[in-house]
Amino acid sequence: MDYQVIVIGSGPGGYVAAIRSAQLGFKTAIIEKYPTLGGTCLNVGCIPSKALLDSSEHFYNAAHHFSAHGITVSPPKIDLKQMIARKDDVVKQNVDGIAYLMKKNKIDVLQGTGSFKDKNTITVTPEKGTPKVVTGEKIIIATGSKPTPLPFAPFDKKRIISSTEALSLKSVPKHLIVIGGGVIGMELGSVYRRIGSEVTIIEFLDSIIPTMDGTMGKELHKVSKKLGINILTSHKVTAIKNKGREVVVTAAGKEGGEVEVKGDYCMVAIGRRPYIEGLGLENAGVKVSERGQIEVDEHLRTHVDNIYAIGDVVRGAMLAHKAEEEGVMVAEQLAGQKPHINYNLIPGVVYTWPEVASVGQTEEQLKEQGRAYKTGKFPYKALGRARASMDTDGLVKVLADKHTDEVLGIHIIGARAADMIAAGVTAMEYRASAEDISRMSHAHPTYMEAVKEACLAATENRPIHM
Amino acid sequence: MKVPAVGESIAEVTVATWLKKDGDHVSLDEVLCELESEKATFELPAEKAGILRIRAQEGDVLEIGAVICEIEEGDATSEQPVDKTADSKAMPPVTAPVTTGEVREMIVPAVGESITEVSISSWLKNEGDFVALDDIIAEVESEKATFELPAEANGILRQVAKEGDVLEIGAVICRIEVMDGQPAPAEAAHTPATSAAEAETGSYASGHPSPAAGKILSEKNISPAAVKGTGVGGRITKEDALRAEKKAEVQKQAPGVSVQPPAVSGNRQETRKKLSNLRKTIAKRLVSVKNDTAMLTTFNEVNMKPIMDVRKKYKELFKDKYEVGLGFMSFFTKACCQALQEWPAVNAMIDNDEVVYRDFCDVSIAVSTPRGLVVPVIRNAESMDFKDIEKEIIHLATKARDGKLTIDEMTGGTFTITNGGVFGSMLSTPIINAPQSAILGMHNIVERPVVENGEVVVRPIMYLALSYDHRIIDGRESVSFLVRVKQLLEDPARLLLGV
Repeated sequence: MDYQVIVIGSGPGGYVAAIRSAQLGFKTAIIEKYPTLGGTCLNVGCIPSKALLDSSEHFYNAAHHFSAHGITVSPPKIDLKQMIARKDDVVKQNVDGIAYLMKKNKIDVLQGTGSFKDKNTITVTPEKGTPKVVTGEKIIIATGSKPTPLPFAPFDKKRIISSTEALSLKSVPKHLIVIGGGVIGMELGSVYRRIGSEVTIIEFLDSIIPTMDGTMGKELHKVSKKLGINILTSHKVTAIKNKGREVVVTAAGKEGGEVEVKGDYCMVAIGRRPYIEGLGLENAGVKVSERGQIEVDEHLRTHVDNIYAIGDVVRGAMLAHKAEEEGVMVAEQLAGQKPHINYNLIPGVVYTWPEVASVGQTEEQLKEQGRAYKTGKFPYKALGRARASMDTDGLVKVLADKHTDEVLGIHIIGARAADMIAAGVTAMEYRASAEDISRMSHAHPTYMEAVKEACLAATENRPIHM
Repeated sequence: MKVPAVGESIAEVTVATWLKKDGDHVSLDEVLCELESEKATFELPAEKAGILRIRAQEGDVLEIGAVICEIEEGDATSEQPVDKTADSKAMPPVTAPVTTGEVREMIVPAVGESITEVSISSWLKNEGDFVALDDIIAEVESEKATFELPAEANGILRQVAKEGDVLEIGAVICRIEVMDGQPAPAEAAHTPATSAAEAETGSYASGHPSPAAGKILSEKNISPAAVKGTGVGGRITKEDALRAEKKAEVQKQAPGVSVQPPAVSGNRQETRKKLSNLRKTIAKRLVSVKNDTAMLTTFNEVNMKPIMDVRKKYKELFKDKYEVGLGFMSFFTKACCQALQEWPAVNAMIDNDEVVYRDFCDVSIAVSTPRGLVVPVIRNAESMDFKDIEKEIIHLATKARDGKLTIDEMTGGTFTITNGGVFGSMLSTPIINAPQSAILGMHNIVERPVVENGEVVVRPIMYLALSYDHRIIDGRESVSFLVRVKQLLEDPARLLLGV
């Protein structure tokens, strides 16, 4: 065998699995189809979208908030070309960083599309040049996912686009129509709204970010409307027509009634599907579920005993940090260790501004389980730090067991929520009670004080600053 | 069904064997399982008829009052029990407890005339636990006894005194924030994985391993339930998990793993077995007797020929008439009773500042059983005749060997006879069976040359040893007692006449 471990795909799941394998002493190779490492996350996902989000927030603040701070600027202008160029530079720094890490850990990077010949043999076909055959004892599939198109409106990448294209638009859209009020739709929708586009979100369900706690959806809806985003919930898109210079979206409301929305771009962000095309899974005997996910057991082992799969290509949330944990878990298992992932405590984040972040159970899930719980909320409005920076939108919501006071879920919408949620994960990994958190000193003035106050509210409804 | 109280000082029992299986239909009073306490093995009869649901497994150590099993009413048909389980889950009222605002202060109750203070030996419920009326929430110890403290109301427990605190009568032990209703039954089902650990400390998070600790434990194949968490609320820290490794490795060797240093040839196997409750109690008691009494031993020898002659002469007749053999024990018991009545200090015991004398002789007989030494008691042996004593000894010894002695049958003796002679002992210094003050040791009968009337003759001789507590028995009394026993045995007619 050429390698002890071969990883297919270099996204956050794949490259982390490769590094951890190498750390554990395995001779490791990683196969990547695209010229740069890092997968969706680094190239066309998390990192570039955050780069644009930050740029758009700066612009929006300059245009709307600077004057209140006593800073006068002539009306700022958008240089989208530069904005995209900066984003590309951020991406480059990151993917170069991964290339460096591969080298540092002596991981062979094999450029090309990997395809199973049998359970130990993989053909790597580069775009140019001759295919190469490599063999490995253990194979980790980490090929990730691709945006799901609507069946009646495939991506034409001109007017009907996916998030990938939306990250590299040449001009600011006049009117961006977003199909799907999930994480990707809300993030990119808010980017373009802030830099001046009219944005319409069309969501099939009755709430945006429907998988998160209901309060978060409601609050995000409120602040998004304040930002000027049009949101149509409970609307089913029935047709998308590329009319050349514009795109026309037809959607049916719940109580009948049809709306027609015209815009220059329509971004379809209804979800992502596992990416397994060309992998040759059948040659290895790896089984795939009806939903297109590679079937794995609790140890992320496929039906073939030397092949594992991690990240978006298997069941569970399609999140970079979930894939990373799985990458580490598989590598450590190969070394005979017994790591464990607490899937309930993988945080979910929406990088809008304000951000939304949550960990644990939602109120809806607790209700469904019939669990006796109590709720503590604290609004950013009542927070000194938030007032100082004028980021007063948002709240912290803590759900705790009614009898034991154990924290069951933490949901934050507000400035810096994404970073704050880590404290919630830590507390919940140790099964802290709401009172435990409220008895820990939180630095003042910080946004985290809102978490403490919400915990006080959950404990005995005794927040200090409300 | 809960573990019943089986005796004064018994705090826990071990489930020895389940005689019925989970799901079996059992009828009222049918024996469900055998429980082993530190003192005895006893049987647990069913409290009612129904389907047995076993909650504690064989080998589990349960505290008195812990749930051992449940009996669901119903028939033994295959489907019904399932229905019943579903029913019983659905039925309990799901009304969550409601705080009434009332706070009940619980104070140390008056527990006895001369007792002015008690100490909290252990909290059985944790701070913040929901306790129901009459739930035992703590064990309290006075100088005389340990007693249980029942909750005076339903509600949330707020502890005031800590374990080990010494409180005066009337001092506040805890407060109960009174609530109406019961906690939702679902609560228990939420964290089944840690329920075993919870039972110990009560915190919902006790036994919960930190992420790193969890990984270490699963790699070492140790269940978190087997690890005592030292973190907040009993959480298992990484250090706990690392330490658990060593302990578990030692435990792994328990069932007989050989330790073989390479340099030595030949089998060097060591076997480790957990001490049984009975053994632990024996060990504890014997050491404390050695430490707490002024024990010494006096010896004498008995010519057994007269008794052997009597036995020889009347053995058949006795057996025919009473359907029990005429052994040596009845002679010794009778002789001791006579001597005890003449030297009451040997039959007495010390209780704090007082000496307790008895007009009766409850003679404990040491019996060796596969589980260890037990000492059943012959009550009022002084008023029994030979056949009654022989019958009682057989009766008690049989029960002892079957492990069926009750606590009552083993407590309250005033004097003990032990016979090391059956194993061939020539001479020994027995240890007093506390709180008694003396013990007679019998030994083997050996033909020895002795001088009688100026001539060396061969006689069957037994050495006797009397260990006694010099705190209340003086040398004159102990030696005289033993001499008296010797006289009565060497001339059994004196037993008859009491002279």
